[in-house]
Amino acid sequence: MSTAFLTSEVRKPIDPMLPHLATIQDVKPTAVGISMFSLVFADPEERANYRFQAGQFNMLYLPGAGEVAISLSSDPGQPEVLGHTIRDAGSVTRAIGRLKAGDVIGVRGPYGSAWPLNKTRGSNLVIVAGGIGLAPLRPVILSILRQRSAYGQVVLLYGARTPADLLYTDEFDQWRQGGIDVQVTVDLGEESWRGLVGVVPQLFYRIRIDHKKTAVMACGPEIMMRFVIYEALARRIPKDRIYISMERNMKCAVGFCGHCQFGPTFICKQGPVLNFAAIEPFFGKEDF
Amino acid sequence: MQPIVYTIEKPDIAKWLERLLETAEVIAPVAGYSGEVVFSAISSPAQVLWDFENPLHPAKQFVLPQTDPIVAIKRNGQRHEVEPIYDDSRRVLFNVRSCDVKGIAFLTRMQEMEPADGSYLRRAYSLTVISLTCNTPCPLGFCVCTDSGPFLNGDYDIQLTDLGGKYLAEVGSEKGEAAVSNAANLFRTATEGEVSLRKRLETAARNRFGQETCHFASAMRRISTGRVQDALWEKISDWCLECGGCSLICPTCYCFSVRDRARDGNWIRYRIWDSCQYTAFTLEASGHNPHEQRKDRIKRRFFHKVSAQYYMRDGTVGCVGCGRCIKVCLGTADMPAVVAAIRKGKWHE
Repeated sequence: MSTAFLTSEVRKPIDPMLPHLATIQDVKPTAVGISMFSLVFADPEERANYRFQAGQFNMLYLPGAGEVAISLSSDPGQPEVLGHTIRDAGSVTRAIGRLKAGDVIGVRGPYGSAWPLNKTRGSNLVIVAGGIGLAPLRPVILSILRQRSAYGQVVLLYGARTPADLLYTDEFDQWRQGGIDVQVTVDLGEESWRGLVGVVPQLFYRIRIDHKKTAVMACGPEIMMRFVIYEALARRIPKDRIYISMERNMKCAVGFCGHCQFGPTFICKQGPVLNFAAIEPFFGKEDF
Repeated sequence: MQPIVYTIEKPDIAKWLERLLETAEVIAPVAGYSGEVVFSAISSPAQVLWDFENPLHPAKQFVLPQTDPIVAIKRNGQRHEVEPIYDDSRRVLFNVRSCDVKGIAFLTRMQEMEPADGSYLRRAYSLTVISLTCNTPCPLGFCVCTDSGPFLNGDYDIQLTDLGGKYLAEVGSEKGEAAVSNAANLFRTATEGEVSLRKRLETAARNRFGQETCHFASAMRRISTGRVQDALWEKISDWCLECGGCSLICPTCYCFSVRDRARDGNWIRYRIWDSCQYTAFTLEASGHNPHEQRKDRIKRRFFHKVSAQYYMRDGTVGCVGCGRCIKVCLGTADMPAVVAAIRKGKWHE
């Protein structure tokens, strides 16, 4: 076979499933069982070229433990240091939770869609987060703080199960000073808790919304997002101005493995941030 | 490319295979240990079967192996080294049936979508597919319904048709041309009579399929417009035993999981076939599982294959009509049965 056997091999594809090594710079406990890991790529060139948008995620890999999809929760304006807020939930995150500063971890990304920060410029924003759902929304808040005047009224509605589960509590004052109305609630208070008790969608009753120019960005458990959408629609916010970030089991993050299929979309490619108008036929249905 | 058509005399096939064996690994249907037919690498042309029942395991294992190493992580003192693992050794797939050719073409089309799967494509681009048309349809096949047989108009590198004392060899790609030019003295250009005989054989083979095979069109409409009752899915799922066999033997199923294996202090990251019919397929670390119920998983499988693949991706059905799921399903939740149930709105009982 003398003639070219691999005629199509000219289009040599690079392998998208190859992890790149990064060093853990800092581990900061954020809430009970949740820590913020700051990562820096080992390769200086990679460090310089890496860019991400608010809402995207990386695949973090620990040899022997496995790979897991974790949202970026640091400021997209500082892409040299990648912040990931990780909760001990499964076998991989538990193994990652045992790592210390200086340890090496595999990273590939960023993957997925981003929060529509440009499209919503000039409008009011209601940011709704439940539990660790605040992690993918933190880059949104940090981006807004950098250019606060570009947006109208910005409200953060945030809740967790107990006060000990609340994330980034030390940053709330800074966010409030930056001009973001931060409303916090917990499902279950304790003696020292002086704030609100109740579920997140109820926080909608504490704010005034001009439905003509408001967008909603929500991330949290699916049941919470269902009721957030309900409250938003009840306030006549159009469906195509409601954005949610979905969670699914992922193995490859590039649309090969089929695990994150959601209706006709892949959460890793078309998501995780999805426009409610586009997914309405599937959202909240058990089958998808 | 315009197909170039040759003929090769039956006794010359062995000589051709010997030439192919010199340059590449040749995989063909052979008799397995207990008499069943399997795809396996051959060492001599005599092993190749010509009149055989299609192997239970499709030929996808040679482009997407069940366990497929993709990355090696080597520990070098304190340093880690990450290296991709590629397999681009030359292989010839000989005497595969049209449905498997279409299956591999389907997988390649999916993996070529951005971002392209380099590991898969290297293997697929190094593979020459020499297929054998089916003059007589297999008892369970319904490839006429999925446009994937019994004769093909493309996607093969070389397509052989049994014309009695000789084989017609239609060349469909440069890889096929290379495989012919390797033994050019054995081939001669086909006459018009031979080409028209092939057409007659194709018509005859198409007419041999039964009346009731697998009518996708109306099932596609019903499933896509949400006109399938939940109760019907539940009934279908009662017949599923969650073995995942349908995904493992399906030529168009490519879902996988990724695992690590320790070897000599290093790690090999490999992918392994997975099935959407397993409960843990969508289980998240938090405990949330969007497809906890069996009926959800059955619905997901058929929604993908019969609706989403056609309307949202590439305009084909995710099925090549090979009939393997009929053979492997311990219940009766196979493709033709489910399509018929959706079309008629009731489960066969």
